[in-house]
Amino acid sequence: MSDLFAFNGAKGAGWAQPKPSIEREILISLIPKKLRRKSLPKWPRASEPEIVRHYTWLSNRNFGIDNGFYPLGSCTMKHNPRVNEKIVQLPGMDKIHPLQPEHHVQGLLAIYFEMQEMLATCSGMDQVTLQPVAGAQGEFTAIRCIQEYHRQQGQGHRSKVIVPDSAHGTNPASASMCGYDIIEIPSGDDGRLDLEALKSAVGDDTAAMMITNPSTLGVFEHQIAEAAEIVHSAGGQMYYDGANFNAIIGKTDPGRMGFDAVHYNLHKTFSQPHGGGGPGSGPIGVKSHLSQFLPTPLAGRRNQVEADPKGVDDGYWYFWQDVGENSIGKVQQWNGNAGAVVRSWAFYRRYGKELEKMSEHAVLNSNYLRHRIMNPDPEIAKKIHVMPLNGAPADLVMHEFTLSLTPLKELHGVTGKDVAKRLLDYGVMAPTLYFPTIVPECLMIEPTETESKEVLDKFASDLHKILSEDPDLVTSAPHTTDVKRVDEVWAARNLILKHPGNESGQ
Amino acid sequence: MDQMPNLGREKEMLDVLGLNTMDDLFANIPLEIRRNTPLPLPEPQSEEEIWADASRLLGANITLEDRPSFLSAGLVRNFVPTAVAMLATRGEFLTSYTPYQPEVSQGMLQAMWEFQTMVSELVGLPVANVSMYDASTAAAEAITCAVRVHNRKAIQKGVVFVSEYTPPHRLAVIKNYTQGAEIEIKTLKHLENGEVDMTSIKDAEGCCAVYVEQPNCLGMLDDTLLDIKELIGEETALIVGVDAVSLGIIDPPGSWGADIVVGEGQAFGIGPTAGGPIYGLFACGDKYIRQMPGRIVGLTKDTDENKAFTLTLSTREQHIRRHRATSNICSNETLIALMGAIHMSLLGPEGLERLALRVAANTELTKKAISSIKGIELVDPGKYNFREFAVKLPHLASEALTYLDKLGVIAGLDLGIWWKSMDHCLLIGVDDRTSESDIESLYLGLSEWIEVNK
Repeated sequence: MSDLFAFNGAKGAGWAQPKPSIEREILISLIPKKLRRKSLPKWPRASEPEIVRHYTWLSNRNFGIDNGFYPLGSCTMKHNPRVNEKIVQLPGMDKIHPLQPEHHVQGLLAIYFEMQEMLATCSGMDQVTLQPVAGAQGEFTAIRCIQEYHRQQGQGHRSKVIVPDSAHGTNPASASMCGYDIIEIPSGDDGRLDLEALKSAVGDDTAAMMITNPSTLGVFEHQIAEAAEIVHSAGGQMYYDGANFNAIIGKTDPGRMGFDAVHYNLHKTFSQPHGGGGPGSGPIGVKSHLSQFLPTPLAGRRNQVEADPKGVDDGYWYFWQDVGENSIGKVQQWNGNAGAVVRSWAFYRRYGKELEKMSEHAVLNSNYLRHRIMNPDPEIAKKIHVMPLNGAPADLVMHEFTLSLTPLKELHGVTGKDVAKRLLDYGVMAPTLYFPTIVPECLMIEPTETESKEVLDKFASDLHKILSEDPDLVTSAPHTTDVKRVDEVWAARNLILKHPGNESGQ
Repeated sequence: MDQMPNLGREKEMLDVLGLNTMDDLFANIPLEIRRNTPLPLPEPQSEEEIWADASRLLGANITLEDRPSFLSAGLVRNFVPTAVAMLATRGEFLTSYTPYQPEVSQGMLQAMWEFQTMVSELVGLPVANVSMYDASTAAAEAITCAVRVHNRKAIQKGVVFVSEYTPPHRLAVIKNYTQGAEIEIKTLKHLENGEVDMTSIKDAEGCCAVYVEQPNCLGMLDDTLLDIKELIGEETALIVGVDAVSLGIIDPPGSWGADIVVGEGQAFGIGPTAGGPIYGLFACGDKYIRQMPGRIVGLTKDTDENKAFTLTLSTREQHIRRHRATSNICSNETLIALMGAIHMSLLGPEGLERLALRVAANTELTKKAISSIKGIELVDPGKYNFREFAVKLPHLASEALTYLDKLGVIAGLDLGIWWKSMDHCLLIGVDDRTSESDIESLYLGLSEWIEVNK
């Protein structure tokens, strides 16, 4: 095991940098005594080759899309085009300060403006802000806008936000952070939104409903327009969780479904790499009645006039537009995750008006894989102990689907988690596990549009193999990974959250 | 399209499904809400064309590399070691998701555990999380965390005192994040000389938390802050926002009683990158662990008793606790935190100190040069500054900025943008790379501006 804190070379080892332009002793003497640091932090002392080797070793112990199939449902783990990484390292991106004057950043503003327009077009919204830096922050921002809207309308008493029980955990968490009470409504027997339950949940206290469509079961809520009607007639606002936006681009949009606000996950739909948990980017789009509340500023443009400095030669002058006195202010201190915006811009430019094809292929792959899994070859079927149940009761799913492994658990004691761990031995990432919670022993699978038919065929056949394996082999999985099954309970009980330091250490 | 392997093989796959067209896949979307027209977007582009457009557009920007720059205000024009991006963007790191399956994510988990250790050491507190979005959301969530911990015993229920030297964009984030928890933000006052007003500290007695920054947003360090924990006591959290690099030479808040330390991590790991992605640092004392926001990695073992790492304390988080979670944060800034970790490990303790000393030296030189210009006065004379200092100009700061911009110098930030009353004040920020000739350009530019406006 490579231990970073075991590197304890000579003082000053590591990366070379120029000397300070004033002597150390003089500089230290200038600091008021009380403010001086007494001892340096216990950081490793290592040379560049040692550090390069350490992090390369660590990277070899990590699994990304580049290593193999990553069917993590609701996370849209698609391929990240490499040119995007090169683009964000351009000095015109990396070496820009967000407070530089507008005539320094015409190119960046042009990209911001184009992204605002593109996202509004694809979602049927009137105005987009790129400031929120993650999906959850987008939810929070949109609910804050809705909250201020209600207050302005004299409807500040509306205190409840409705979410279906299949919603992402961030939905209730975001609304709760805004100060709302949450009403969770049960899904129908088919896993879909239950309109009767919704009708009895709405009232004069409804502020908004938050819902994703397609749902986390991968099912399109075909009664979504009726649901919007119910919420609107009670005076509530409709919020679209865009985590599953990859499924519908060009086919329908939240505007048509009756939503007032939506967030986009640029790191899902538009391929900002997930980087082990972030950065993300969670722009939001709203209908015009909410736009005065958006965080400030937005990217704006006007026709270029002769007096303007040189722009980007497209006839426009771009600027930061203040949203005005009703704006909720800021949710991130600058203008969002610009790097994610620029990567997503490059991604979308690859597809342009054919973005629809991306959604078509995401849905094709999802249905194809589901079909393969649920319809094994007869020879294989004979060997399978128990087939999983379809978690999503629909003939056709959207970009993702769910399986329930309840029969396997009941008959052989093999849980969804066991199967997930065993899949790791087959060189793929496990699907999302135990979510949505309304599907027992749930595996949630999202293949995305960037996987080939062969990868999907192999995944189905690997899953079938696992369902034919000795249950003991499966319940003790994984067997071939860097470490065996990890004890999460021990971690929570003992809470060793930092390196204790080495004997030989500083 | 080169990004989709099954393009051109649709029929083969549709046949398996018993469908005829790609549109059949969308049969569950009612016709009334279908889009029937193509998206009004441009033609698809090839990689070459995208690269050309990106280079043209981003190439039209004027960067901080192009000219002497004294614009900082919380973001740093740093030099990031070349190895950092090369290692962090290895596909295994770059294209992984949150490590929900620890058995195949040991690399990122260990790297984040090491990150937690280095941040903890840097700020002098026992626990750090895997990152927040930025310094402002870290400050905001530190406040909500502190209220959850202290509100029960607090005499001033739900009240938090926030330093009046908190920049307005951060205060706006704090207000958005705290209004839903019915937290009342009161202003912690400072004296004319910039030091914290001890009568205001007295007013804060019995509240849930006090938020201060060291250095403050004008770059000034206040040694009286080191005494305030004793005054506010154990039942009120002391939250301190820091300049992370300064801690190479400045006493870390953990050693003078801070309960939560937050700050911008960007100086370690990534360029200013137009304001994002950057990352917020969040570290705290033991009693806040179960109320803290964000992801955290713990050491554990596998079934063979081998050392292993895993995400832990996830019962605080939204995917388990839903509306009762400590925060809604899900995606954070892990990859940028990884860049930070690599940068920190390359620096090592003495490298950190040297980096801080370089900034300190450039602060001294710039401050000395600029304050020697007749007509320019330091806003906080006689105080120790790190990275930034504010000066009062004889005319509007915005005019000075425009004048120097024409000379090819980014002279700093017009403080009138933050506070109308400071529209004659300029915030000048240096970094490790500020050169003598940069300082000279600023000196000559400001002198000339004053001269022509006499």
